[in-house]
Amino acid sequence: MALTTTSPRTAPPQPSVSRKVGVDKIDRKRQRWGWLFVGPFALVFLGFLIVPLAYAFWMSLQTSTLAAGTQFTWFANYGKAFTDPIFLEGLGRVGRFAIVMIPAQMLVALAAAMVLDNLTTVLSKFSRLMIFVPYAVPGVIGALMWGFLYSPRFGPGSDIFSLFGLDAPSFLSQDNIFGALVNIVTWQWSGYYMIIIYAALRGVDSSVYEAARLDGANSWQIALRVKLPMISSSMVMVLIFSLIGTLQFFTEPQVLRAVAQGAIPVSYTPNMYAYSLAFSYSQFNYASAISFSLGIVVFIGSYLFLFLTRKQNGLK
Amino acid sequence: MAILVPQSDEAVTRTTDRERRRKDQQRSGGRKIGSHIFLLILVIYFLTPLWWLIVASTKDTAGLFGGSGGPLWFDGEFHLFDNIVGLFTQQDGIYWRWLGNSFLYAFAGGIGATVLAVLAGYGFAKYRFRGRSAFFSLLLGSVMVPMTALVIPTFVLMSSLGIVNTMWAVILPSLLSPFGVYLMRVSTQDAVPDELLDAARVDGAGELRTFFQVALPLLRPAIVTVLLVSIVATWNNFFLPLAVLSDPNLLPVTVGLNNWQALSNAGAGGEQVWNLIVTGAFISIIPLIISFLALQKYWQGGLSLGALK
Amino acid sequence: MKSKLLTSVGLIAVSAVVLTGCSSGGGGGGSSAAASCTNEIVNKDAAQVTVWAWYPAFEAVVDNFNNTHDDVQVCWTNAGQGNDEYTKFSTSIESGSGAPDVIQLESEVLSSFSIRNALVDLTEFGANDIKDKFTPGSWEDASSGDAVYAIPVDGGPMGMLYRQDLFDAAGIAVPTTWEEFAVAAQQLKDAGTGGVLANFPTNGRAFNQALFAQAGSVPFTYDSAKPTDVGIEVNDQGAKDVLEYWDGLVKKDLVTTDDAFTADYNTSLVDGTYAVYLAAAWGPGYLQGLSDADPDAIWRAAPLPQWDAANPVQVNWGGSTFAVTEQAEDKANAAVVAKEIFGTDEAWKIGVEQSALFPSYVPMLESEYFANLEYPFFGGQQINKDVFLEAAAGYEGATFSPFQNYAYDQLTEELYSMVQGEQDGSQALDDLQETLTKYATDQGFKVN
Repeated sequence: MALTTTSPRTAPPQPSVSRKVGVDKIDRKRQRWGWLFVGPFALVFLGFLIVPLAYAFWMSLQTSTLAAGTQFTWFANYGKAFTDPIFLEGLGRVGRFAIVMIPAQMLVALAAAMVLDNLTTVLSKFSRLMIFVPYAVPGVIGALMWGFLYSPRFGPGSDIFSLFGLDAPSFLSQDNIFGALVNIVTWQWSGYYMIIIYAALRGVDSSVYEAARLDGANSWQIALRVKLPMISSSMVMVLIFSLIGTLQFFTEPQVLRAVAQGAIPVSYTPNMYAYSLAFSYSQFNYASAISFSLGIVVFIGSYLFLFLTRKQNGLK
Repeated sequence: MAILVPQSDEAVTRTTDRERRRKDQQRSGGRKIGSHIFLLILVIYFLTPLWWLIVASTKDTAGLFGGSGGPLWFDGEFHLFDNIVGLFTQQDGIYWRWLGNSFLYAFAGGIGATVLAVLAGYGFAKYRFRGRSAFFSLLLGSVMVPMTALVIPTFVLMSSLGIVNTMWAVILPSLLSPFGVYLMRVSTQDAVPDELLDAARVDGAGELRTFFQVALPLLRPAIVTVLLVSIVATWNNFFLPLAVLSDPNLLPVTVGLNNWQALSNAGAGGEQVWNLIVTGAFISIIPLIISFLALQKYWQGGLSLGALK
Repeated sequence: MKSKLLTSVGLIAVSAVVLTGCSSGGGGGGSSAAASCTNEIVNKDAAQVTVWAWYPAFEAVVDNFNNTHDDVQVCWTNAGQGNDEYTKFSTSIESGSGAPDVIQLESEVLSSFSIRNALVDLTEFGANDIKDKFTPGSWEDASSGDAVYAIPVDGGPMGMLYRQDLFDAAGIAVPTTWEEFAVAAQQLKDAGTGGVLANFPTNGRAFNQALFAQAGSVPFTYDSAKPTDVGIEVNDQGAKDVLEYWDGLVKKDLVTTDDAFTADYNTSLVDGTYAVYLAAAWGPGYLQGLSDADPDAIWRAAPLPQWDAANPVQVNWGGSTFAVTEQAEDKANAAVVAKEIFGTDEAWKIGVEQSALFPSYVPMLESEYFANLEYPFFGGQQINKDVFLEAAAGYEGATFSPFQNYAYDQLTEELYSMVQGEQDGSQALDDLQETLTKYATDQGFKVN
């Protein structure tokens, strides 16, 4: 924030105090403008995030039972949450989803982006678009569609698998539902991550590749040793968003439940558990505690991840 | 990482280069085919469900459940237009109202969120005010809040304001776009140099005029990206409208189709509308897909800014 | 470019507003739920009562009421079906506003809402005056002790719908006991047509519970006069016997275990995969509504198989009521609506013919018209006279817990694990007993 002064060289030396005061006054005026610009957003942030969050937190500090009334129980709900086998099982499950789903999406996104970075053909341009298009489909509609596609009767599963001489598996059974959900999310989100990675790749100066090629690197080595490190900060950002989203997994299993009530119990993920606690069983206080507990886990997980990747993520 | 080849060996290098280039071309020919096959497989994977949707929209309910061509091909009859007519007659054409609602919420919410995000991003980027980093960290942290925590309190809040079950119940919370603020801050830092702003200030322009006349034009691509992201987010919103709206006339198309699916599953007397659900889903994704195709330049450009920083 | 983009964005936004404003129906975006009705108000000066209901063809019933009542008018919305509506209702109870005056509630969830003081005891509004207009079973379901929390509308006495043509092809006689049912299942399997006799859905919820009740199971005791006391015995002998029976059929592959109420299930119903549909009285309407029915299918109705032919037990699956909510400002008029909207012969003509509901309303139930009603779908069989009237008359009511949603979700999980082979029926019910007892205790109930 340099101040361009036009004081001539012959000007008498100003006492440093008054200049600093002058600078401070301008700074303070600027500060006010900062708050003015941020103000409208801050208002909505306060009203629709902070206030509801505070209320939810306050709710989580109370316990309301169906039979007795509502009492203030401080952090009893949190103790209950972190020893609740259903919540812990849900956490384990989204953890497992994270371990499988995030690499799946990243692999597809990364591979596609790398390949597209090398090509300029019409097919590549078309592919880029088509891979991105599923992002335009709302999660609910996508889950609805896949519910149909997974149906043993109405989906193309049996047709497709018989092409390879195999029997179509029952996608909605207890054993396969995990993979079925991984597939839906991969289909939905890989394109979005691909675009981000591709855009980051486009931003890399191609002379770096030239130099590497001169050194004798083949394209695999270039991809892994040159491109990947150069886009590491975007990769980290993409991974963080994916991690947060996966830990909060809700829409797809909730919608798919309509066709797989046995394989997907109401508490399949922590977010679903919070939802049914609140809306099916009217346990709003405990539901808030579960949501906050999930939030705590997400928070810790994200910061842990950022810490582990602090060299690559480019954040201060 | 580059090692420059010393000049004296140029002659040798050139020959080796030519050989290498020839080898490269041979290899890249094969590699290019491999890459294209890989892309083709990906495209098939990503497009097959959408293809299914298109084909399914041309069938009536009977055809959906036992058509002659199987799930991935058309059956003997073409019912797309019948289905579209059905969308007009079912419940007095409420589907089109749902579509209109989605447009309204998405645009009102999206435009509103963008305005707030542009202003806030500029504020964060160009002014060092007290509490700036604290607020910004809070903002980034807010992405991690599970939505289930917010729904009941938001409902109670809006209920006390008297706006529950109105369109404001959906639009107002949609004005919140922390990702948009983040993107705008990063873009503003990138695209609007401090010197330009200082020059304008020295010329006597007030802060607002500086913002509108100097900064804003430079931010155009980022603004479009944030607008698109916000519109998509609000269009896809499901959980919030589900919780706060009970009047079927106010539902966005995502919740409306879900309602029809619940109705069809329960199957009470003649309310199976699978053909309408499928055709409705198909029509509902057309606007977004068209906007994607038309504005892909902005998607790519804008998202890259967020990625690179 | 920018101005073109902005112009098009603006145009779209404007057209969206216009689209939304021009569509049919009342003014959307009004300030309260009462402002927007799906139906037309006939008498605009009269008091308005808001109603949430999802009955098919309900608008005709609403119009019928509005045309015959000068001083009260119904303003109706379909706020969702079953759990979707209950979610909204639950939220509005929690926040203190947003509930309708009158709401359609299935009998099984009445105590879940009465315990939250969300429902009005209608005995103060003359409910007991019309008690004899409803079947004893349905009245029992709508009451808790001396309090009456809702007015019954329809019921679901159970019977058995079966495919006569499939039975004939396999040479099966119509079973009248569960023993005969198992034999018939084996016969059908041996006939090798690829279908099964019936489906045992683990997500049957009230269906599963009704089957248990037929063997004498009484899972819950609850009286709203003593709201903190609840009796839980889900693992009584009756339930265990029934579950052992069905587990046996499942293990021998004589029945399938598909989830009910999905598109797959619906198609299996009509394409002959299931030869029998153990149904409630609203089942015929459900069947008829399923598309792509096989034109050669011949459906008939018969009474539900019994455990003891000499002592038949009738059971009920489903059934809904109209309750008045505590948030209603004008409770007297709301009570009038609850009592009278499905309280006339005209309304029930519509209910039977257009909505395929089975009346708990005695004047319709006992009418010649209803008894002699021939159902073309069943080849002209008078299914009411043959099956459902007796089932309705013999039904004595059931008691549900104040956390029935939770209980059903847990039942579904236990049954699912049973059919997956992870545990037997007895174990499943013992687990359920433990889970529910713990839950009730956590919720502050005294469990007997």
